[in-house]
Amino acid sequence: MAKLSEDMKRALTIFISATIVFSTLAYVAVTPRPKEQFFQIYVLGETKKAERYYPNNNPNIAVGQVVKWYVGATNFMGSVQYVLIRVKLGNSTIKAPDDTYHAPSPGPMLSEFKRILMNNETWEFLFTWVIREISANGEGIRPTVFEINGVRIQNSDVRASKGHNFRVFFELWTLDPQSGSLVFGWRTAAERRVAWLQVWFNATSPAAR
Amino acid sequence: MAMMGILAFSHATPSVEFSAPPGSFQAVDKASSEFAKAIAAVREAEAAGADENQLSALVERLNTVVWMIDRAESLLLQGDVQGAAAQAERGIEASREIVSQAAKLRDEASLRTYYGKVLTFGMVPVASLLVTVGAHHGWKWWRRREVGRMMRMEIKAVKEPQEEA
Repeated sequence: MAKLSEDMKRALTIFISATIVFSTLAYVAVTPRPKEQFFQIYVLGETKKAERYYPNNNPNIAVGQVVKWYVGATNFMGSVQYVLIRVKLGNSTIKAPDDTYHAPSPGPMLSEFKRILMNNETWEFLFTWVIREISANGEGIRPTVFEINGVRIQNSDVRASKGHNFRVFFELWTLDPQSGSLVFGWRTAAERRVAWLQVWFNATSPAAR
Repeated sequence: MAMMGILAFSHATPSVEFSAPPGSFQAVDKASSEFAKAIAAVREAEAAGADENQLSALVERLNTVVWMIDRAESLLLQGDVQGAAAQAERGIEASREIVSQAAKLRDEASLRTYYGKVLTFGMVPVASLLVTVGAHHGWKWWRRREVGRMMRMEIKAVKEPQEEA
């Protein structure tokens, strides 16, 4: 076997070393870096800030009083996502969504809002609600009819003593690509996570305010 | 009452939102299933590296389909079966168009991504060769310079301190 000259040996060493370095750089360039996948959900007051959630900053909401919130969600999942925000009514005894077991609140759903979001896209919408009718008896006060963004909705069974400590839950649901069904929260390669918010209020009749 | 029907259903079976409410008819179910296919197709196009502007246009159309299906369900609950069917049909048609456009976009993007990868890795030996040739000539130049420098050196006598005295 012919012996390689010193020059050839040196050139071969440089070529192999450069190939290793450039191949690594090429691999890094064409491989997308893994990013944290998550959603963000928020509720803002009528000034589009985290303040003034109630008219005149008074959480006692009377029949006919209009409450305006801005609800938003941002997709940081790195892909197009089908997002659904479910609005539920609760009181102090109805369970809130469970972060550990990823269980949604058992409270009755008032409304839901759907949208397909691109990666890094924020979706924000005005959420206007009014208590239209209320019923009171020995068991407490029950807002029987809500109006959400102009649509009348019946509340069948959520009541609270003296109308205190009602709450509105906002739950984020997504379409799970694996199962093809909607799930509360979202699934990433490593884990399952949920996102939800709640805003408390008291329901009062106009006379009671 | 109709709204209560929706609420009751949604609350009881939250995992089947793509199916229409009970008592609905096939067109709405079909529209929902075509819509799910359309989302999957857009995701595939995105994963293949499709252009963001073109994806954005498809996502806007998907949102229109969401609205169409909602409208079909609401018409159905109001008893307007024909209106619901027409709306669902429009949804199905739009979903199918999205699927075909997304498939085209995916194929284009896959090809572009493939060529991009081939080009990137194809450049590796070229760049290595350039570096090798550069290093080889650099080495030769440096060596010539060093030899030349050596050859130009002069021997100078150093005077000893005793001699000076």
